[in-house]
Amino acid sequence: MKKTGLIRILGLLALSLITAFPAVTVQAEEEVPYDTYNYNYWEDIVKTPAAYTPEGSVGGIDVGTTAFKEPKDFCISAEGEIYVADTGNDRIVVLDSQMKKVNRIIDTFTVDGVEDRFSAPYGVCVSENNELFVADSNNARVVVLTPGGEYKRVVKEPKSEILEDNFAFIPLKVTVDYADRIYVISKGAFEGILVFEADGTFSGYFGTIEVKISVWEKFWRRFASKEERSNTQLYIPTEFTGIDVDADGFIYASNIDSEGIQAVRRLNPQGKDVIQKGENGNVGGDIRIGIYGDYSGPSEIVDVVYRSKGMYSALDRKRGRIFTYDKEGNLLYIFGGIGLQDGTFQTPVAIEQNGEEILVLDAGRNVIMKFHETNYGSLINEAVGLRYDGDEKQAIDKWREVLRLDENNELANNGIGKAYLTAGDNENAMHYFELGMNKDYYSIAYKRYRNRILADNLGRILTGLIVLITAGLTVRRVKNRKRGKDREEGLL
Amino acid sequence: MKELLSKDKWKYAFHTVSHPADGFYEIRHRDRGSVAVALCLVILFSVTWSINRISAGFIVNDIDPRDVNSISELITVLLFFFLICIGNWSITCLMDGKGRLKDILIAVGYSTVPATVCILIGTILSRFVSEDEAAFYYMICGIGIAYTLFMMLVGIMTVHNFTLGKTLITLFLTVVALLLIVFIVLLIVDLVNQVYSFLHSIYQELLFRA
Repeated sequence: MKKTGLIRILGLLALSLITAFPAVTVQAEEEVPYDTYNYNYWEDIVKTPAAYTPEGSVGGIDVGTTAFKEPKDFCISAEGEIYVADTGNDRIVVLDSQMKKVNRIIDTFTVDGVEDRFSAPYGVCVSENNELFVADSNNARVVVLTPGGEYKRVVKEPKSEILEDNFAFIPLKVTVDYADRIYVISKGAFEGILVFEADGTFSGYFGTIEVKISVWEKFWRRFASKEERSNTQLYIPTEFTGIDVDADGFIYASNIDSEGIQAVRRLNPQGKDVIQKGENGNVGGDIRIGIYGDYSGPSEIVDVVYRSKGMYSALDRKRGRIFTYDKEGNLLYIFGGIGLQDGTFQTPVAIEQNGEEILVLDAGRNVIMKFHETNYGSLINEAVGLRYDGDEKQAIDKWREVLRLDENNELANNGIGKAYLTAGDNENAMHYFELGMNKDYYSIAYKRYRNRILADNLGRILTGLIVLITAGLTVRRVKNRKRGKDREEGLL
Repeated sequence: MKELLSKDKWKYAFHTVSHPADGFYEIRHRDRGSVAVALCLVILFSVTWSINRISAGFIVNDIDPRDVNSISELITVLLFFFLICIGNWSITCLMDGKGRLKDILIAVGYSTVPATVCILIGTILSRFVSEDEAAFYYMICGIGIAYTLFMMLVGIMTVHNFTLGKTLITLFLTVVALLLIVFIVLLIVDLVNQVYSFLHSIYQELLFRA
């Protein structure tokens, strides 16, 4: 009995020693407070190096003003100034490009000699022509100002026959294209994005999300009584949540897709969705999702930012992930997470790119979070950029570096394969396309490889065939003759 | 054993493939078949199946090679084979089937030959096709499997001396019997597990008190 007690005490001592001096763990290249992963061909989760690491955060007090209160949106002007829609404080805060100090605060402006204020300014945007657009949500208007805060004009609640009678204009997000057309997401406007001409006249809805009703639902509706039918939820399309515009005037708009398949749309000037989906046909964030618990369900994309060279990043408020896709809809990398640790979000609401940094506005922490690209992230960005420019050969070196950091990266393998294919090295191309699980391109490379072998050896193959045929014929003739002889002998 | 695996028996298995109706009739009435050969053929089928999964050409192969375990596949195939045969036997016994369990084993076992051969040919071919020629691979495998199913139908029909309609009904009932067997086996496994854990906890209790 005494012995066991001693052993127990010794064991406790050992345990406390282990916990007091944790074993030296192998330091990862980047220690980040979130998972960084990607999906492979089989849609399994594959851990990858971090593409972006947290670089601290900037709040209102850090830049020399009072703290932000539930900021909902921000944007970056061509000069690099950062405009934060400080929704809870009814003001627009303008930071310098280094995010070190406040340049100015816009909370009042004069309209015809009368002082006016914002009421819950929800969205903000600076146009190419250097005009500041503020979605002044509770005042049901979009205010246009100079970057300095001088009033220019206002876009009022639209009046049109196509709008419902009880339509309430509550602008949440706003963006402006090169032609000064104004795109506004209004709360509860399921028909799509509201488009205004430069002078503020309403020109219609844009990019309506079509409602999908499955055959199964249709089948049940047929059998349902009128009462049951009115009790079931209405099939209404989802609202848009975030909006951005690229240099060509295409609109990138995000929405919360309940199926997690398409959360980002790329809308052409006619309002048609022209986004490219990758091999798996998914631009909706996470592919493998849990079914139970708080952490389950598809990603809820709340904002999207067009980066450059066809790349765009989408922000998920459910799990705090940032998904980056290339022009072809390939998922490039995933980072970010919800939590209390530094570098994680509480309520991420908006995303922007500032040079090499990705900025995320957190309405829970009331700060802008900064993320800086790692070697891995910058290599992928550069390689994708080179491919976008059609410079596959240059990209091969970048992809090789990516492979060194992340051996199973399918995009990198495909990138190298494509470069080999253009160089005419079909065998190597096949090898890399197989590693990259790219059947289409493997097929092309294989066909060329096969044709080359056939063409090179045509003479030998034909000779062989002729030899075989003659041999076969001779053997048969000899056999026949022998059989004939046997028969003759048998007869005799 | 030697007699069961004799050259004649092997030859007869392939004769059955080309002449299913006559072949199965002689298996039932003149003992031309062999259970050992049938078992070998099923094992061969399982091996071919695993080969196909591991080394079919990249174009037609969507399987993560890490998922393939040929031993567990062999066990699955054999289990399924015996389940079908026993299920069919237990049903046909009640429905005036003339076949013995031996005949059913042989009929089902011999029927796998076309699938084995075609999948093997397809696997080799699949390494030399591009994406638009992959249809040939699927066609060859499809023909093999279709012919296997056809042979199984004819085999069961012949050894039991059934009409087509009655065969189809017994096949449906076979599936039901199969599910019943699986259900009962699972039930027994679960019960045995509970008894085991009960005994195990008694053992542990005794150990701790000692």
